Amino acid sequence: MEQSIIQLITATLGSFGFSVLYNHRSNKLIIATLGGLFSWLVYLLLEPLFPSESIRYLISSSAITIYAEIFARVLRTPTTSFLVPSIIPLVPGRALYYTMNYALHSQWPECVESAMYTMQLALFIAVGIIAVTTSIRILHSISVNSKHHSVYHRR
Amino acid sequence: MNPEQLISCALDIGEQMLVSGAEIGRVEVSIRYICLAYGCQRADVFTITSSIVVSLITADGRHITQTRRINGSGTDLEKLHKLNHLSRYICQNKPDYQEVVDKYTEICNQRRFPVWVEALASALIACSFTLFFGGSWIDGMAALILGVLVRYTTYIMERAGMNQVFTNVTATFLLCLVSAGLTKLGIGENQHAMNIGTIMLLIPGVALTNSLRDMISGDIMSGLLRFFNAVLIAAAIAAGYILAGQIVGGL
Repeated sequence: MEQSIIQLITATLGSFGFSVLYNHRSNKLIIATLGGLFSWLVYLLLEPLFPSESIRYLISSSAITIYAEIFARVLRTPTTSFLVPSIIPLVPGRALYYTMNYALHSQWPECVESAMYTMQLALFIAVGIIAVTTSIRILHSISVNSKHHSVYHRR
Repeated sequence: MNPEQLISCALDIGEQMLVSGAEIGRVEVSIRYICLAYGCQRADVFTITSSIVVSLITADGRHITQTRRINGSGTDLEKLHKLNHLSRYICQNKPDYQEVVDKYTEICNQRRFPVWVEALASALIACSFTLFFGGSWIDGMAALILGVLVRYTTYIMERAGMNQVFTNVTATFLLCLVSAGLTKLGIGENQHAMNIGTIMLLIPGVALTNSLRDMISGDIMSGLLRFFNAVLIAAAIAAGYILAGQIVGGL
């Protein structure tokens, strides 16, 4: 429990740091920072429901994409603006690090396994994002048929 | 605005969007709609991470093509936001050439945060993720130093015009040496947590995810280029890490 609270706070601070590095300003900085908190909160809440780590990453990345899409429309900015800093806590950094560590100690079977696992996580995260982006695009093409709107909302 | 000015304006905006971290699809759509807004009959845009090609059939039936070689990258979401606004503004209001150039120049001249602010942000990130990955408070304090070290190393290397691979090897190498040193001095207990936390600054996790996004959504070429770029950076980080490990004698 204590570790979860530390993770939530540090995920938020981490996303804040990356938002500054990526040159976010004013209210966009705040939204992007809270996105980091949101993505890790979803991940932690899913923990008792789904034993598979990959599925948790998939669902959390979908959730954060919905968050980013909503605020991108509210603040009229590209979805990437909020997606990139907010998804930072989900980035498979630890898996990548252990892959390197196995390579350092010449534990090749573990190294290959860990590399595959890293790829798997990255793939699940990407699929989670794509699923939401595509669904929103489909919903839009159904609900809006004026050309003007489809032009401006696809961007 | 004549067609040559139009195509060059559209390319300027597309180029800066791509460099600032936009997805391929957005760059292509923006260039296309800017060209169509000024009455072109047809606009074909092909974008990969290192090049943009635009072919137009103008209102009076002439064919024009221009190509740009794209160099450099540095995610700048504020610039991307403004460029996105500009491209929408152009599509809606069709301003004349001088107005577009003025607005574009204004966006490009905007400054980023100074390096010391970025170094502080890096320190915060390193500290946060050290704690995130289970480090103790002392590890977190040590990671503050490591974060600043990494940002200044990459800053100096980038200013000297070094490529991404060499920059990442050096930054990871220095970071692992210093973290090993700090641990020996008793500042920091869990060296793995410190290393993971600080390496989060360099790790191409977002790049890897984005490359897969590009590929799944149909931009196979750009996706592959970005994918191999991410893998190369990961390999560079691993090389720096292993090099430091050999010197220190196991991390």
